[in-house]
Amino acid sequence: MNEIPVVAHKCKNCGKIHYPFHDRCMNCKAREFEATKLEGNAKLLTFTQIFNLPWGFDQRFLIIGVAEFENGVKAMGQIAADSIDGLSLGMKMKALWKPVRVQAGEKVYGLMFEPIQ
Amino acid sequence: MGLDMELEAVLRAPEVYQAPYPSKVITLANGKKMVVREVSREDVPMLLEGVRPTLMIDRDYYDIVGARLYAELLGWYRYRVRNEYCIIGQIDGILVGIVNGRMMNADIGISLHTLAIDRGLRVGAHLFAAKMEHHIEYLGQKEVWITAESPIGFRRWMIEYGLEKQTDVQHELGGATSYRLSRELYFASKPRLVVGDRPVPKEYLDVAMQEIIVADEETITEKISGVTGR
Amino acid sequence: MRDVAIIGAGMIPFGRRDEDGLMDMLAYSSLNALDDAGLGDKSVDAVYVASMGAGILQHQTAVASALVDRLSLLPAAAEMIENGPASGGSAVKMGLLAVASGYYDTVLVVGGEKMRDVTGWRATDFVATLTHPLAEYIYGVTLPGMAGMFTRLYMEKYGVTREHLVQVAIKNQKMGALNPYAHVEMIITQEGIMDSPHSVVNNPPVADPLRLYDACPVSDGAAAVVLCPLDMVKNAKKPPILIAGFGQATDTHTLQEREDPTDLKAVTLAAKQALEMAKLKPSDIHVAELHDAFTILEIAESEHVGFFKKGEGGKAVAEGKTQLGGTIPINVSGGLKARGHPVGATGVAQVVETVWQLRHEVGKERQVKGAKTGLTVNFGGFGNNVVAFALKRVNQ
Repeated sequence: MNEIPVVAHKCKNCGKIHYPFHDRCMNCKAREFEATKLEGNAKLLTFTQIFNLPWGFDQRFLIIGVAEFENGVKAMGQIAADSIDGLSLGMKMKALWKPVRVQAGEKVYGLMFEPIQ
Repeated sequence: MGLDMELEAVLRAPEVYQAPYPSKVITLANGKKMVVREVSREDVPMLLEGVRPTLMIDRDYYDIVGARLYAELLGWYRYRVRNEYCIIGQIDGILVGIVNGRMMNADIGISLHTLAIDRGLRVGAHLFAAKMEHHIEYLGQKEVWITAESPIGFRRWMIEYGLEKQTDVQHELGGATSYRLSRELYFASKPRLVVGDRPVPKEYLDVAMQEIIVADEETITEKISGVTGR
Repeated sequence: MRDVAIIGAGMIPFGRRDEDGLMDMLAYSSLNALDDAGLGDKSVDAVYVASMGAGILQHQTAVASALVDRLSLLPAAAEMIENGPASGGSAVKMGLLAVASGYYDTVLVVGGEKMRDVTGWRATDFVATLTHPLAEYIYGVTLPGMAGMFTRLYMEKYGVTREHLVQVAIKNQKMGALNPYAHVEMIITQEGIMDSPHSVVNNPPVADPLRLYDACPVSDGAAAVVLCPLDMVKNAKKPPILIAGFGQATDTHTLQEREDPTDLKAVTLAAKQALEMAKLKPSDIHVAELHDAFTILEIAESEHVGFFKKGEGGKAVAEGKTQLGGTIPINVSGGLKARGHPVGATGVAQVVETVWQLRHEVGKERQVKGAKTGLTVNFGGFGNNVVAFALKRVNQ
């Protein structure tokens, strides 16, 4: 598995985890953060199957969801599945770093969640 | 001047038997019933009345679709196109959409055009699906070739059906990219794209068969390019 | 601070307006509002123009400067407001503050959007640019997608059902069919979009669990109002409508950082501020325009502004409480669902509709009888910037 370069930001003062980046802590307004990697598997918090995709996507649909990692980081990503039939709230997902779209002819990488059977 | 039937016989495209498309009825979003049925050559003059107003509507490429459909229907009426068929949608007898296609040979079907006169009710989607149903299930063909002349068509057919792009052949409608619907793809998409009840209850079929009612030019133009409608 | 009244309201029918550019629509709706205010040949002190997409969709900037020139309102002050789908509400608020402060006396606020210049793919991408560029946008998420994820959680937590959503769609399209300004004039039935097996094609999923008829259309349109100090309104032919309260609040950019993603905090706060300032309770409101870009939002907002307890909004729709003649008629204009959602126009259009309702001008088929108070909620982003207004009819 490729190393996932997503970095979350843990407030050095109060410990609140932020993702994406904020210049001041949402909780205590402190400005120093410790870079935090995504840890372990993730729990699926919500998901949807989107049709009518924006410009730049040629496929019929995308499945997208938000998941929470074991260290509390919450992040959006695409979900690798043929349909949403097998997905349920709270299920365990494995996170991968995969191409999620193509921009200007180049692959753009991002989070890809895979259901753990 | 009478037809020179000897010369006419030379010019006419040969026809081979085509299985008929059995009529069906679909409940639309507004609760109205749309009868979807195959029409015969003799119905063409009436259909042309419904297509004619679209020749001047450039919104959403109605003019190019309308002009080509007009020519195809006329070609069929005058025996210049081989193995063409035409399926229409009617609500309370009124013509709301037309689709046509032909058999290129026993295995390959050609999807020609899809014209929705009533908009916002997915009439085009239902009729295009009926066309695919006809090729695969009733004409028993192995595949259908499709191309799109408008972004709406592209989105609907290529993306909704997940069609395969063909680089080695040209579609009859010109050099635009041709896509292929295989039997496998059709049956995979069928549950979410092809609906309708058979047989059509007599009350609906009788109204549809009695007369193809074509709205006047102003109404058709307003339906297609008025301010309202999605 | 001075009390501020709306003395003119104007709109043009929303829909696909192939003949008109953005500038045309802004100009026509402005003229309608100026005429309505009796200022057809007068100037104004300042103009606030809302558009989310002029720069992206029309490749045109500084639209406010262009508009005052076109309307011969020079040398009026002119400003452009881009605040996502809450641009319209924000522009009304800016105009309100300018008049309330005593700095300007007559202000024109206009909002418009020309979205049908581009294909659906481009329009979807344009609206999605309001999401977080790195944490959301790159994944291909769309606004319907955000709403889909929200709906899944809201249904799970509060028991909102597909039938409740369908009831909102049917109600709003029915009202839209009666509103000459509405984009969608088609009455739909539960059979056609839910009960019949044919509904899988009629009403396909757009962002599960949301379906086609849960979403507003992509529209062109514009709306405008004219504001002035209440105490300067003399011998008005039409009853002036007081902007009795306003509120605005923000929430996290990404949905994932909200402690409870089903809690639309900015809606609660904005509505609370507006109502408190107007000295009104939710139960005092006679007519409401809520931001139903998706059916679920009408239900969720009706709870968050305090019309119903959490979890009771869906039931209220099913019981007819939110329809014309109900305890709190919501979106009798058809809402975004049927009137359409030209993003920059929407916040202004909600105010225009409410002004007409409070003046009792919409015609008996849509009029909330004797309406004297109204609430509007303009929901930007996915609830990350919300503007609300409480309006009151002033009897002179």
